[in-house]
Amino acid sequence: MEQTCEIIDMDQLDHGRFGSWSFSQDFCVTCGLCSSSCPASGIDGFDPRKFVRMVSLGLEDKVVEARWPWICTMCAKCEHVCPMEIDIPAMVRSVRGLREREKVPGVLHKGLAAALETGNNLSLPKEDFVFILEDVAEEIAEEPGFEGFTVPIDKEGANILTTIHNKLVNTHTEDLKHWWKIFHAAKEDWTVPSDNWEGTNWGLFTGDDEAMKIMAGRVAEQMEKLKVKNLLWPE
Amino acid sequence: MKKFGAVTVFDLLIKYIKEGTIKLDKSRFDNVLATYHDPCNYGRKAETLFGHGYFDEPRWILDQCMDNWIDLYPTKKDQFCCGGGGGTLTTGYNTERILYGRKKMDQIKATRATMLVVPCHSCHGQMNNIKKEYGMEDLEVKYLWELVADCLIL
Repeated sequence: MEQTCEIIDMDQLDHGRFGSWSFSQDFCVTCGLCSSSCPASGIDGFDPRKFVRMVSLGLEDKVVEARWPWICTMCAKCEHVCPMEIDIPAMVRSVRGLREREKVPGVLHKGLAAALETGNNLSLPKEDFVFILEDVAEEIAEEPGFEGFTVPIDKEGANILTTIHNKLVNTHTEDLKHWWKIFHAAKEDWTVPSDNWEGTNWGLFTGDDEAMKIMAGRVAEQMEKLKVKNLLWPE
Repeated sequence: MKKFGAVTVFDLLIKYIKEGTIKLDKSRFDNVLATYHDPCNYGRKAETLFGHGYFDEPRWILDQCMDNWIDLYPTKKDQFCCGGGGGTLTTGYNTERILYGRKKMDQIKATRATMLVVPCHSCHGQMNNIKKEYGMEDLEVKYLWELVADCLIL
């Protein structure tokens, strides 16, 4: 792969810039094990080792502008092989969090913004959500062994509340059925909330701690409101 | 102040099976060879963040559903990334995402399995999305709980 050497203005270097970050980035021994283990190494001439060095040297603009933190899958193979136990995935996430929200690639921030505003990434209205669940429940009830199956929505005092991944009420409604069938066979006392059911939490990917707290807080609020004993969060 | 409990998909399935509240037909997939992929969040990252990686639990569940499954190599903590994590299914950088699923596909091909079991929505989406790119159209990608639901004796 062709790489060009770029001359970096010394004024950009500020070793103290990320000094408060506790990811052990300054302990890097530049061994390159992370780079060898990374599925995204080489894209745009980047790799984890280079990224760690850039953070350690305080090259803020360069790392925040780079595409690489967003191409990283946060799979943590780098951290697993690192002899100095540098928390590279968490560092990647923190760098993602520094980017202007309008410049977050793809639908990640848009989906999150929709979730913060409407409760779910799709901005799916409550009545449509309930309609989809009941429609799928009717399909299950037509299968042998599941006669009379219904979906218990907003059931107070249930043993288990399950969140729902938005794709299961969008393009993959068939995949709602697996857990529901297991609950039916196990005679479980379960429920799905009609509010705050969103199981994805894209603040995890965009480095947005505040948004993550809000989304997780809503699920907790729902648990308390419905007095449910246990939370199943399959996402 | 603990107001409610939380259960993982693995612990709940294991509880149902061990208590006998669900019964499984182990012969359902007698003619299928399956393999299992460890997602980063349930494995490596859970071990680092919460002190326990879910490596053995899904394999125990697989054992209750079928005799005929084999592990990928490498596996568990050394597992290769599917390429679909970290939000990469939604960033729009699709060429890159497909590229780094290549090692995963090589691993699966090496087992000759026709079914891949996963307990993660991102891995499931990624594998289904890229399998045709690697000549693996016939690979059936199945959620772990889908496998359990398929084996239910009613």
